[in-house]
Amino acid sequence: MSPAQVLAFGVEQRFGPVEALQGVDLALQGGLITLLGPNGSGKTTLLRCLATITAPDAGSILIDGLDPRHESDRIEVRRRLGYQPQDPGMTRSARAFDLLDYLAVLKQHDDERTRRHLVFDALERVGLAGRAHDRVGDLSGGMRQRLALAQAILGSPTLLLLDEPAAGLDPDERFRLREIVAERRHRSTVVVSTHLTDEAAVGDTVLVLLEGRLRFVGSPETLAGTGAGRAWIQAAEPIGARASWRLADGRYRCLGTPPVGAELVAPTLEDGYLLLTPSVVLS
Amino acid sequence: MTAPFEYRWPVDPARVDRNWRAITIELDAPRPGRVERLLRFFGLPAHVTRLVVATPALRRAWFLATGLAILIGLGATDVDRPRENLFVLLLVAPLVPVLGVAMAYGTEADPAHEMAVATPLRGLRLILTRAAVVLAFSTFWLALAALIAPGRQPMAFAWLVPAVGLTTATVALMTFVRPRLAAAATTVVWVLGVLTTQASAADRLAAFTAPGQLVMVAVTALALVVAIARRQRFDLLDATA
Repeated sequence: MSPAQVLAFGVEQRFGPVEALQGVDLALQGGLITLLGPNGSGKTTLLRCLATITAPDAGSILIDGLDPRHESDRIEVRRRLGYQPQDPGMTRSARAFDLLDYLAVLKQHDDERTRRHLVFDALERVGLAGRAHDRVGDLSGGMRQRLALAQAILGSPTLLLLDEPAAGLDPDERFRLREIVAERRHRSTVVVSTHLTDEAAVGDTVLVLLEGRLRFVGSPETLAGTGAGRAWIQAAEPIGARASWRLADGRYRCLGTPPVGAELVAPTLEDGYLLLTPSVVLS
Repeated sequence: MTAPFEYRWPVDPARVDRNWRAITIELDAPRPGRVERLLRFFGLPAHVTRLVVATPALRRAWFLATGLAILIGLGATDVDRPRENLFVLLLVAPLVPVLGVAMAYGTEADPAHEMAVATPLRGLRLILTRAAVVLAFSTFWLALAALIAPGRQPMAFAWLVPAVGLTTATVALMTFVRPRLAAAATTVVWVLGVLTTQASAADRLAAFTAPGQLVMVAVTALALVVAIARRQRFDLLDATA
């Protein structure tokens, strides 16, 4: 099956007085899409809406033309879905194999032999085939994250939604996770939420979500490019820069409208992202 | 010169690999635990037993059901106070599966609840499967307790219909509130209902006679209609968390 097509029209979600999502429009199909935004920007809410486990207050979502508001469509969407929540709770006393096997049953793989193959496939893909008998509580944090990813990719979903899968991982585990996710990008529409710009840089498309609004959709290069001519370095403490922070050599990296004669530098994705956010002075 | 070894028949290496892999997986897959093997022994399919044993809270619910049933059974064997004991049995027994169901679903019961909700298996089917197993399990023990209570038949089994009614009512209430709150509400309404009926009638066991049983049948039917009509609530995270 081809990667899932994801369309969202004016999606809104409120939690009491908080407007978590404010009219989000999306059109995605295939590739690795990174959803970038600070904590509390609405990333988890958006992923839960796309995962059909939260019903938006307004607007609509279509996945492969299916509307999750209708029960039969929702079930069909979930057959194509792999979802890793931000906090993938797991029974610590369960064996890795048993946990995946349970989720495989929930994914309606009823035949025991087929299920075993699917579970071992998923464990192999995340490098945990040798830990099938281990208790979840005996696995390291990185391994537990990979186990959560294994349940998400179980059965080769065409839509993969991963909510901050790299949170709390060391660089080696993060790199390994990146490899596994990158492998899926050709077969699925993969949406990965993160608040780290270096994680967002590996995506084919970056979505920037700020205060429940989608502020940018485009490639990482395009996002970095929005900072062209707006990033510079100076020795004196900056005045009037939109964002600035002190570098190791004591000089200041600044973003915004450069003063005349400023030493312009090549912008990074982080520069482009910070220029979208409200004014930040970190120096 | 001939090769030292030749296959007599053509061999498909991919097929050999597939077969080896299948054998390896069969050998490597962990054996199901004791409870799961027991359930399979009684004829439950493997995928159903997996749904039932996956949540540790559900296993605790089983033990709780067993413990309560044994306690009720021991109390019921006191021949000096037969009618009082029967009343306690009939009052408490229907609540055993209610407790079990409350401990069988939601984030409080299943740490993997958010991942589970995002799967195609309908939440109502999952909860009814677990409710049926808890109900069957507690019914077995409670029936045993009723049997060892001397000279009580047929009233000793008058808790069965209320047990089904209260369990179904709890499931229906869970479409409005959290599972444990639903169980607490059901318990309070049941206890108050029985005590009020007892106070207003001459017979202490009035709530468990034919009219009371009919009321519980109606409760079961109504609760089923509500649970089915509002089943979507079990498929969303915020509703059942």
